[in-house]
Amino acid sequence: MDGNNSILYCRIADLIAEIPAEGGLAPLCAGYAIDSADSPDIVVRASDYHTPTKFAATKETVAYMESGFQFYRQLLRFNGFYIHSSAVAYEGRAYLFSGPSGMGKSTHTRLWQSTFGEEAKIFNDDKPVLRRIDGRWYAYGTPWCGKNHININMKVPLGGICFLKQAEENRIRRLGSMEALQRLLSQTLRKRLNTEEAARLLSHVDKLIQEIPIFELENRPEPAAALLSYETMRRSAEEIGL
Amino acid sequence: MKIKNGFVLREVAGTPVVLPVGQASVDFSGMLSLNKSGVLLWKALEEGSDREALADALLAEYEVDRAEALSDVDEFIETLTKIGCIE
Repeated sequence: MDGNNSILYCRIADLIAEIPAEGGLAPLCAGYAIDSADSPDIVVRASDYHTPTKFAATKETVAYMESGFQFYRQLLRFNGFYIHSSAVAYEGRAYLFSGPSGMGKSTHTRLWQSTFGEEAKIFNDDKPVLRRIDGRWYAYGTPWCGKNHININMKVPLGGICFLKQAEENRIRRLGSMEALQRLLSQTLRKRLNTEEAARLLSHVDKLIQEIPIFELENRPEPAAALLSYETMRRSAEEIGL
Repeated sequence: MKIKNGFVLREVAGTPVVLPVGQASVDFSGMLSLNKSGVLLWKALEEGSDREALADALLAEYEVDRAEALSDVDEFIETLTKIGCIE
């Protein structure tokens, strides 16, 4: 079979997706492969990939970015979206650590791993999916996992989201709904959405804010920060029965 | 004056929020939350309106004098102009 033109059939976030193999996507999608798909929920088309004009990008980069864009854009129709974050699963709940690049997202989830051991699993280091299914939120691993290739195909009930900020002292607080909205919108797919998609995104984020506790952690990169975020987020997840 | 294409107004967590879409989201990637009178002015501007008519719209709903209404309108238009959502 010609590997360059072949199609990958995957189950990602409980959705059937058809993805072109070209541009090195096959290894990223390996953990999601299924045999075939008659009626995919999501179809990614290489013919619709945009090549950036303002900077040079390899074929691999274009395929990675653009397949992700198409997947996440169509995901909006299925009660889902991504949050730019590092996602860790522990004690049956997913916790997402988000913020602009360079804020220490990966550093923080690695602190969870070194503090809580192998039971704390980082399952995506860039764009995990959140989906609301039958009134509950779940986080999923996806092939679009960031440059560290931390990529586990998992579905985990969502326990909480935390935005990170570097500081001299460790301090955590719950965000109000407008603050949470602003932060969430700054770390998800915004550009190149049409009106209907933007309205869907706002409606998903609206429900998320009402149903999932969202925090800001000012922190130093040290184990005490991981303990603080874990204890605070676990407690509030337990309180509301997540 | 008119709101440009590419902005959606929706209520999130009980607050009306304006979000740019498409090309507009490239130029302005933030969001704008509106109060009740902001929503009134926004909706009038979606249809197209001018300074005087916007002040009339406020006067019809709120117990303010004309000078106050005009100053609220000016402030609102200034905000919208800054983020580039008015034409």
